[in-house]
Amino acid sequence: MSLFGKKDKEERPPVVHTPAVPKVAAKSSPKDMALDTTYFGKNLKIKGNVSGEGSLIILGSFEGEFNLAGRLKVAQGARIKGNVKATDIYVNGNIEGSITASEKVHLDNTARVKGGIATPSISVLEGAMFDGEIQMSSRTPQESKQASPGPKQTSPASVASVKKETEI
Amino acid sequence: MEKSKATGSISLLSKKVNIVGEIQGNEDIHVEGRFKGSIKISGNIFVGQTGVLEADVEADNIIIQGKINGNVVARQQLEIQALGQLIGDCSAQSIDIKEGAIFEGRSNMLRPAATATGSTRPGTQGHPK
Repeated sequence: MSLFGKKDKEERPPVVHTPAVPKVAAKSSPKDMALDTTYFGKNLKIKGNVSGEGSLIILGSFEGEFNLAGRLKVAQGARIKGNVKATDIYVNGNIEGSITASEKVHLDNTARVKGGIATPSISVLEGAMFDGEIQMSSRTPQESKQASPGPKQTSPASVASVKKETEI
Repeated sequence: MEKSKATGSISLLSKKVNIVGEIQGNEDIHVEGRFKGSIKISGNIFVGQTGVLEADVEADNIIIQGKINGNVVARQQLEIQALGQLIGDCSAQSIDIKEGAIFEGRSNMLRPAATATGSTRPGTQGHPK
C-alpha cells in the first residue's frame, strides 16, 4: 500500500498547471509595447492636436488637444496644456485643462491637475494635487454640479481596484 | 528598435495616431502614424513604412521608408529607402536614395560650413544652365 501511496503522490504534483498569463509583465518597459504605443520623450515639445487609437505615453510638454481611443499616461515631469480625452488616463505629471475619460482616471501622487475631470471612475493617491471639479455621473456636465466637499474626491473602491502601474 | 544611437530615448508616433501641429525638441523620432505640420528637432527622424508626414522637416539624419510630403532639411544625411517617397525639396549634407525610392523635388547639398574646403569652386550655389 505504501508503495502505491508513494506512487500516487509522485504522480499527482505535475497535474495541470494552469499557466498564469503574465499580463502585467508586458507593461513594464515601454519598448516592449513597441509599435503600438506612441511615446513622446521628455525632450520633445509638441503643439497641436493628437487623435487616434492606441496607448500613448507622454514625458515631454504638449500644448493642444488629445482625443485618443486608448490609454493615456502622463508621466512625471510631463506638462500638458489643453483638453484631454481618452479611454483611461493615468496622470503622474501636470495637466492644465479638462480631462475626460470614458473609463477611468488615476491621479498618482506626483500628479498636478488644474481643470475639470469627467470620468465614471476615479482614483487619487495621496500627494496628488487637483484644483477643479469632478463630474462622475453620465448626466450632462452643465446642470449637475456636485457640491464637492474638498478639492480631492476619492472613492476608495476605485482606489483599491486600480493597480499601481510601474512607472516609466 | 533598431537604432538607438542618439540622446537616449526614441519618441514614437504609432500607426493609428494622427497629429496636427508642431514638434520641436531634442530627440529621435520614429513615425509610423500621420503627422501634419512641422518638425524641427536635433535628433534623427525615421519615417517607417506606415508613416506619412505632410510636413516640413528639419533634423540631423532623416531616413524615409514611408512618405514625406514637404520640404526636408537633413543637417547630416538624408536616406530614402526603397519603399520611401519624398515629394518636396531636400537639403542635406549627404543623400542616399535607394533603387525604387520616389523623389520628386529639388535637391540642395549643404556644405559643412566649418570645413569649407575650398575656394576652388566659387559658384557652387547657383545652378548653371
